[in-house]
Amino acid sequence: MIGILDYGVGNIEAFLKIYHSLNMAAIPVRSPSDFDSIDKIILPGVGSFDSAMEKLNNSGLRDTLDEFVINRDLPLLGVCIGMHMLGRSSEEGSMGGLSYISGHTEKMSFIDSNITPLLPHMGWNNIITPRQDPIWKDVNLEQGFYFLHSYCFRVEDSEAIIGLSDYGSRFPCAVKSGGVFGFQFHPEKSLTNGIQLLRNFAEFS
Amino acid sequence: MLRPRITPCLLIRNGGLVKTQQFSNDKYVGDPINAVKIFNEKAVDELIIIDIDATRLGSDPNYALIQRLANEARMPICYGGGIKTSAQAEKIIKMGVEKVALSSALFVNPELISELAKALGSQSVVGVLDVKKSLFKGYSIFIENGVKKIPGKLSEWVTTFQDFGIGEILINSIDRDGMQAGYDLELVKGITGCLNVPSTFLGGAGSLSDIKKLIAQRGLGGCAAGSLFVFKGKYRAVLINYPKFAEKIDLIELGLAEYNSNVRK
Amino acid sequence: MIEYNICVRCVMDTSDKVIIFDADGVCDHCRVFDRDIFPVWNNGSGHEQSLKKLVSKIKKAGQGKDFDCILGMSGGIDSSYLLYLVKEELGLRPLVFHVDAGWNSQIAVNNIERLVDGLGVDLYTEVINWEDMKNLQRAYFKSGVPHIDTPQDHSFFATMYKFAADNNVKDIVTGGNYSTECIRNPKEWMYYQSDSIQLRDILKKHGEKPLKSYPITNILWHKIFLPYIKGVNLHRLLDLMPYDKEHATQFLVDNYGYERYPQKHFESRFTRFYESYWLPVKFGYDTRRVQYSSLILTGQMTRDDAIHKLSQPGYDPETIHHDFEYVASKLDWTVEELMACFNSPNKTYNDYANQESFYNTGAKVLRMFGKELGGKR
Repeated sequence: MIGILDYGVGNIEAFLKIYHSLNMAAIPVRSPSDFDSIDKIILPGVGSFDSAMEKLNNSGLRDTLDEFVINRDLPLLGVCIGMHMLGRSSEEGSMGGLSYISGHTEKMSFIDSNITPLLPHMGWNNIITPRQDPIWKDVNLEQGFYFLHSYCFRVEDSEAIIGLSDYGSRFPCAVKSGGVFGFQFHPEKSLTNGIQLLRNFAEFS
Repeated sequence: MLRPRITPCLLIRNGGLVKTQQFSNDKYVGDPINAVKIFNEKAVDELIIIDIDATRLGSDPNYALIQRLANEARMPICYGGGIKTSAQAEKIIKMGVEKVALSSALFVNPELISELAKALGSQSVVGVLDVKKSLFKGYSIFIENGVKKIPGKLSEWVTTFQDFGIGEILINSIDRDGMQAGYDLELVKGITGCLNVPSTFLGGAGSLSDIKKLIAQRGLGGCAAGSLFVFKGKYRAVLINYPKFAEKIDLIELGLAEYNSNVRK
Repeated sequence: MIEYNICVRCVMDTSDKVIIFDADGVCDHCRVFDRDIFPVWNNGSGHEQSLKKLVSKIKKAGQGKDFDCILGMSGGIDSSYLLYLVKEELGLRPLVFHVDAGWNSQIAVNNIERLVDGLGVDLYTEVINWEDMKNLQRAYFKSGVPHIDTPQDHSFFATMYKFAADNNVKDIVTGGNYSTECIRNPKEWMYYQSDSIQLRDILKKHGEKPLKSYPITNILWHKIFLPYIKGVNLHRLLDLMPYDKEHATQFLVDNYGYERYPQKHFESRFTRFYESYWLPVKFGYDTRRVQYSSLILTGQMTRDDAIHKLSQPGYDPETIHHDFEYVASKLDWTVEELMACFNSPNKTYNDYANQESFYNTGAKVLRMFGKELGGKR
C-alpha cells in the first residue's frame, strides 16, 4: 500500500487517481496512524521550499515520516519540491530540509551557454540515465517528463544520480539513495511515462 | 534538451467549451471533461483552460468544474478566469492545477504577483495580456474579455509583471483569435527582447506549419492554439486533434533548426 | 418461467422474451432472414446495375453543389469503409456528418480525422448541448428502461436529417447493412429511438429541467415527410455490394491508419459501458448475441466461436469499476447514485407513453408497398 503524504502541499488527488487507475492500493496519509498501513510513501511538493518545510513541520507528521524513512528504512519518493526537501537546505529559503540524502538545493545555473535559458525550467524534457535502474522500466526517456522549477537538487554523492536532464547545462533530475528517490519533474502530470514510473515505484522492493 | 510546448487552449462559457473569433462569435464546442479525456490520450504537452466570463461577470471561478478537470488531466493545466485573490489561487492550485493565469486583477494591483509568487512559487503564476493592434503603432492591452482598454505600453507592462516575479507571460492576440491565419509574428518579434521569463503566444494558429514558424521565430516557449486543435476544415467541424509524438518532434526540430540558424546570422 | 432455449443456427436465445423456435430448433430471427432479407439482399451480389443507377442519380442531383450526398459517420468500421467506397470507388462527393454527443472516444475521433484527411473530404459536426444530453441521460437511467442509449441515437437521427432538409440535400448514405446487422435487437431490448412520445414522457417524469436545444424528431417526419414531401432519401449502399467486415477493417488499417476498436460500438464510451455492462448485467440482454448471430447468418463467424465468446463477459471485470466511475462522474453523479439506478426495478417501454401501435401500423403499410424489409422487430 502506497501512502501519499497530505501535509497541505502538492497534488495528492492526482497521485491517488493514478494508483486507482492502476488498481494499486494508495491512501492519503494525514495522521501518524495512517503510516501503519503503508509500506511506501510519496512526498509531493509544489510552491516554495520554506513554505513546504514549514507546513510539513507543523503537520504533526514529521516525526513519523522520519521514523518511517530513517528507522524503518521504508521507500520514499520525493517529487519536485519534495525532492529538494530530501537535502539539508535550499538556496530558495532558510529552513532546514529532511537530510535523507546528502545534498543542497540551489538555483539553476548555466555554466557553458552563451544564451542563458529562461527560468523557470518549464515544459517537457528528455532524461539521460548514467546507469540502468529498474525505476525506468518501460519509460520512454526520449519523451521524458514535465518540469516546472527554478531550483535543482545538487546531490553530494554522484553515485546517487540515476537521471539527468539538460537545460543550459546538465543537472540531476532523479536521485536514489537506498530506498529514497527524488524526482525533479512531475510524474503525476507526465502522461503515460509518469504513470509507468509511479507503477515502477510501487513495485520497487 | 527542453522542448517548445504545443498547448491546446480551451475556453469555457457556462460550463461548456466554446471557441471564439476575435473574442466574439462563440461557437459551442462541447463538454470540457470529454475534451480533456481525449487530450490525455493524445498526449498533449499541457492544457490552458480559461473561463471567459468569470472576470467580466465578477463571479468566482467554477471550482467544481476545475476540480473535475484537474482530476481528469494527466498533463499540467493552467487555469485562468475570475482569479483576483491569493486565496482563490491557492484553492485552485490545491485542486491539482499547476499554474494559475491572471489578467485583469494584475493591472489593478501588480503587487498581487509577488503575493502569489510567495504563496505558490513564481513558476505557478502566469500573467495574461490580451492585445489588439493599435491604430498607429504598437499594441493595446484589453481586459474583461477584450472590452476594456488598459493604458500603457505592452513592453512596460511585461516588464512590470516580471519585476514583481511573474513565472510566465501569455500574450494573446485578439485580432488573430479564431482566424486561423497565422500567429502575429511581428508581435512576437517586438516583445521577445523584453521577456526574461518563459512565454506563450496564443491567437491565429491555423496549421502545424504556423506553429513551426512561431518556433523558428523565437525558439523555446509555449505555442498555444484553440481553433487549430478543436476544428477541422472549412465548416469548422468540431473534431479534437493534435499531432502524434513523432510528428510533433519533427515539427519542433525543423522549427528549432531554423531558429538556431537565424540566431547565428 | 420460460425454459431456456437457444437457436441451433444462430445464438439468439430466450433472453429475447418473444423468440419463437420452429420444429428444427431454428429461431424466427433466422426464418425472417431466410424469407424476407436474403432473397432480396443475396449477400450483396447482383446489384451492380442498381448501384450504378443510384450513383448516377445522386451525382446528377448534386451537380453544381458543394457535395452530392451526406454520409453519417461515427468513426465505426461500417461508416468509415462506406466513406472510402463512396469517395474512391463510386466517385461521389460526400459531406461527412458527425454528431458529437459528448462521449466520443479518442480512437473514434482519431479514426474520423484519419479518414477525412486521407480521403480529402469535408466534415461537418453537430455538437449536442452537453447539459441537455446529461439531463436526458440521467432521466433515462432513472426511468429503469433498457434503451438508455436513446438520447444519443435520437440526436443522431434528428440532426442529420434536419441538416439534409435545411440544406436541400436529397441523398443520405449510411453504413447500416445486412451483412453485420441482419438480425436486429429485440424491441424489448432497444425500443425505437425515434419515438418522441416516449422520449418526452421519460423526460417529463424523470428529467430535471426542460431541454435547451436538444433536437427532437419524430417518426412521421422521418418516414413520411422527409422521403415523400422533401424527397430526402436514405441509401444503405453497403447492401448493394458484398461486404465483409474483417476485410473492410484490415483494408482501412493498412491504407488509412485506421485503429481497431475492441468491440462493436466502442466509438462512444457510453455505448461501450451500456452494451458491455449495463444492458447484460442489469437486464440480461447481451447485444453481442445479436451481432454475432448476424455474422453467423452471413458466414463471417462460426457458431462455435460465438458461443465461446459469449461465455465470457463483454466487459473487463478488472476495470469495469473505472467505467462505472467515469460514467457516474460525467453525469455529475456519485457512484452510489448511479448504483441506485442500477439496482432499481427493471422497466420496459410500455411503462411510459409511446407510439408503438403507430410504428406497427406504419411498418405494415410500408412492407405492403415493399418499402421496408427490416428484420424481426
